[in-house]
Amino acid sequence: MSVVAPTAEPSDEALAARAAAGDNSAFEAIVGRYQARIYRLACRLTSDTDAPDVLQETFLQIYRHLPSFRGESRFGTWLYRIATNAALMHRRARTRRPAESLDVYLPRFDAQGKHAATPAELQVASHADELLDRQFLAEKARDVMARLPDLYRDAFVLRDLEEMSTAEVAHALGVEAATVRQRVHRARLMLRGYLSDLVGVKP
Amino acid sequence: MKEIACVSGVELLMDYLDGVLPADLHAALDEHVAGCPRCAAFVRSYCDTPRILRAATAATLPAELEASLQAFLWARTTAFKAS
Repeated sequence: MSVVAPTAEPSDEALAARAAAGDNSAFEAIVGRYQARIYRLACRLTSDTDAPDVLQETFLQIYRHLPSFRGESRFGTWLYRIATNAALMHRRARTRRPAESLDVYLPRFDAQGKHAATPAELQVASHADELLDRQFLAEKARDVMARLPDLYRDAFVLRDLEEMSTAEVAHALGVEAATVRQRVHRARLMLRGYLSDLVGVKP
Repeated sequence: MKEIACVSGVELLMDYLDGVLPADLHAALDEHVAGCPRCAAFVRSYCDTPRILRAATAATLPAELEASLQAFLWARTTAFKAS
């Protein structure tokens, strides 16, 4: 009886090298491996309407720039950076929306600097996904992401939704790590309050 | 040990969770959260917010978009090679 060893999936870097040398099947494999993740990222950074354009633009740029990929970072990191830039460029080309204040969702404190809400009220945002209809929550999540100031949105999406490290986000956005932390913090405060408000409790 | 009010603790929360606060401030915040049910509840919901929004914004690539992407890339990369 012959035993066929399972074939290991080629690494991203191996596929990139083959694609750069003109192997179309390797490029298709890269697209197949990353298209769902890049689409999700594009939806989060732009909108469902703009995400298809960002997806196309990203893979076109990947194809064109594959020969210049030097392996100084992981291939996935390099690809994510291109996708992030494509999304941000796409958004900049759109008419700027007026900045909207989400300060109403920030936590409230009394004169002594103590939380104004009770522990039960403060914790309710943790259960928003159990208390709200899934489809309703998905729609509201899309709405509020679009209302977040761009600087906070970009940092929050990359750091908290795409789960990149603070250092990776800082590199991708061209800012200091402390700036990333400050923006993510601000976004989390607003979004936490928003979830609380959706459930009907003041943040 | 430094005394911390809830409002200052909230301001420091991201740095605290990222482990970049000075040791004495980190310890002071640990102590405050341990003795403040409001802050303990707040920290939990602050940490749960990304998880909830990650799930709520996890868009799925539509099959028709996958097909149109393939067609688009095939046409453009063929043209790119020919140029």
